[in-house]
Amino acid sequence: MQPGHTIRAAHNLHHMFKYILESAGNINWMAIAALVTFFTMFVISAALVFKKDVRFVQHMASLPLDDSNPKTAETEANHEA
Amino acid sequence: MAQVEKFHYDNGIVRNFAYATMLWGVVGMLVGLIIALQLVFPSLNLGVAEVTYGRLRPLHTNAVIFAFVGNGIFMGVYYSLQRLLKARMFSDLLSKIHFWGWQLIIVSAAITLPLGLTSAKEYAELEWPIDLAIALVWVVFGINMFGTLIKRRENHLYVAIWFYIATWVTVTVLHIGNNIEIPWGAFKSYPLFAGVQDALVQWWYGHNAVAFFLTTPYLGVMYYFLPKAANRPVYSYKLSIIHFWALIFIYIWAGPHHLLYTSLPDWAQSLGTVFSVMLIAPSWGGMLNGLLTLRGAWDRVRQDPVLKFMVVAVTAYGMATFEGPMLSVKSVNAISHYTDWTIGHVHVGALGWNGFLTFGVLYWLIPRLFNTKLHSEKLANTHFWVGTLGILFYAIPLYWAGWTQSLMWKEFTPDGLLKYGNFLETVTQILPMYAMRAIGGTIYLTGNIIMVYNLIKTVKAGTFIGDEEAEAPALEKTYGVHKGEHWHRWIERRPVQMLVFSAIAILIGGIIEIVPMVMIDSNVPTIESVKPYTPLELAGRDIYIREGCLGCHSQMVRPFRSETERYGEYSKSGEYIYDRPFLWGSKRTGPDLHRVGGKYPDSWHFNHMLEPQSISPGSIMPPYPWLIRDELGLESMPKRISVLRTLGTPYPEGYESIVFQEAEKQAKQIAARLKADGVEMEDLEKKEIIAMIAYLQRLGTDIKPKK
Repeated sequence: MQPGHTIRAAHNLHHMFKYILESAGNINWMAIAALVTFFTMFVISAALVFKKDVRFVQHMASLPLDDSNPKTAETEANHEA
Repeated sequence: MAQVEKFHYDNGIVRNFAYATMLWGVVGMLVGLIIALQLVFPSLNLGVAEVTYGRLRPLHTNAVIFAFVGNGIFMGVYYSLQRLLKARMFSDLLSKIHFWGWQLIIVSAAITLPLGLTSAKEYAELEWPIDLAIALVWVVFGINMFGTLIKRRENHLYVAIWFYIATWVTVTVLHIGNNIEIPWGAFKSYPLFAGVQDALVQWWYGHNAVAFFLTTPYLGVMYYFLPKAANRPVYSYKLSIIHFWALIFIYIWAGPHHLLYTSLPDWAQSLGTVFSVMLIAPSWGGMLNGLLTLRGAWDRVRQDPVLKFMVVAVTAYGMATFEGPMLSVKSVNAISHYTDWTIGHVHVGALGWNGFLTFGVLYWLIPRLFNTKLHSEKLANTHFWVGTLGILFYAIPLYWAGWTQSLMWKEFTPDGLLKYGNFLETVTQILPMYAMRAIGGTIYLTGNIIMVYNLIKTVKAGTFIGDEEAEAPALEKTYGVHKGEHWHRWIERRPVQMLVFSAIAILIGGIIEIVPMVMIDSNVPTIESVKPYTPLELAGRDIYIREGCLGCHSQMVRPFRSETERYGEYSKSGEYIYDRPFLWGSKRTGPDLHRVGGKYPDSWHFNHMLEPQSISPGSIMPPYPWLIRDELGLESMPKRISVLRTLGTPYPEGYESIVFQEAEKQAKQIAARLKADGVEMEDLEKKEIIAMIAYLQRLGTDIKPKK
């Protein structure tokens, strides 16, 4: 495919979307919809997060503290917590 | 219970990235110090093109963001990812390609930027061949990360890893979105979008370079290394989930706050402001989560330099993320924008948050990689205090400079005239603050050098553990959601779903802001009298880009009386439709240039570029003698014209064949005017300065009534 064709195809696609968006009229609703989506998702996820199982949360939170490598006396001496 | 497997963590790659972080940190900050000194002592520009402020400034920003912090990110990711997943990196070869590829990109940036090969987009200045290389290396990093995720031995993904995944996917989207360009030379290109649309895409990228390169990966690093250094789990794991999702969803919208009061349509500016103000909630949630992790360990903060660095880093994050939303409020932005307030703000983030967190991690990591103790805790504590002092000496003078200059720009006499009508007066006023900032930078860099010395001594005293032994049970495959299982556990087990959900969260904001802007013509009202640049003006514009003039000069007169009084009619979006790339700038170390066309005679520009101080005594602008010495290269002009036509600039068909005559005609007119004003020089009409004058004299004149 020639580069010219690609650009023309992109151009046509541009016009198609432009038509859809223009016929939608005022596009402020998109911004408001985004904000509403965010707040809804935020409230639901916050509610769900705070219902989490305590043991699972403790397991997740402790993941960084477990390196899974056998400690030697030497490493213990160098890097005491 | 699955069988326990023995394996080794790859520490070699972590060590390499740590070394690179240390090296590029010194280099990037040194270049920063040089340009800070150039502002105080303009003679340090040496009259040499390659070391002039305009070309070195992008080198400093790129070096600090992508070389220092970039290597810092990879150091943190490669160490923590292996341990959180209980697996060695997917491929040692990919790790090596990633490391050396990234260093090669940094070196090519260090060569091309001083040569003036730049796309003029802040923090995305690198030209198209390097953009391709970045994409390639970034994909290698992605494959290596997701490969490791697939062969992991830990079922659930800790919050740090979500931040790494979101970083990877968002940087991919941003890098592609902001670098759609058509080449017209081996290292030169024009962007797909023009003017106001280009500006929106650039600052969608620019702000999210801060968000998804300087922030999210470092939050991942914080969520791993802070609990590690404090030896206690994060304060609230639940809060970290909310922090993550809210932050990545909101951050992506904030870009337009860089364009308040510009020609960007109001609806986009408002979106930028609203989401920027909302950002304070997740940011402070994360900051408090970090600080509260140290509850009950504050006695250790007094002694342990690692924790000291981390506490100041998280506090700086809190300060910067409080200030950011505040600066996004339009009335505050009216004062702060284009001033050193912004530079002060970003350095609280860069020196405090990124710098100090990196130092904390290095002090923690290097002794562990080399199985020894830190060479000198005393020196590390010295570094801490020197560094903190450096931040204060850097930031406070710049806040002061920003407020002073902005108030001077806006001050009127009782007669209704600008009190400081000469822009230069507002510059010389703040030079002592610039000097203090350079001292602050020197102090901070000194601290960094102390650290490098301390860590080299540590390395020499220890024995490197390249392959660190580890053991963990193999991962048991579990499919499907168990009854009563928490919804988020499902995501935490599935990296690909995490990738998809993160991508959706960050795409919503980008699409809603950018798509209508690009698609709907009414967002950029066209102006009948605005015409494409002539070949000579275009050549001048490309020189303006090469010299990095936009580092100090904006091209955007905001609709304030203090600006229209000083510069002329405020800027309209329709004036920029042929501007590829847009050159609005983000800082006024010198005056705005959008209406400079026709303001001074040609000979004024000639003498000013040759020796700025001869025209404006006390000016801190560098001299540009090579523009007068060097001949203008127009060989690629037909190609440039044809690329621009492809992108939509209405040059007539066949215009390429007459560009040389057109340029010559215009050049001769300018040369004749210069000669009439007493400028005597052989082949004057063939010099670069002629093109530069043509461009500067064209600026902002399209909508001026013709005499």
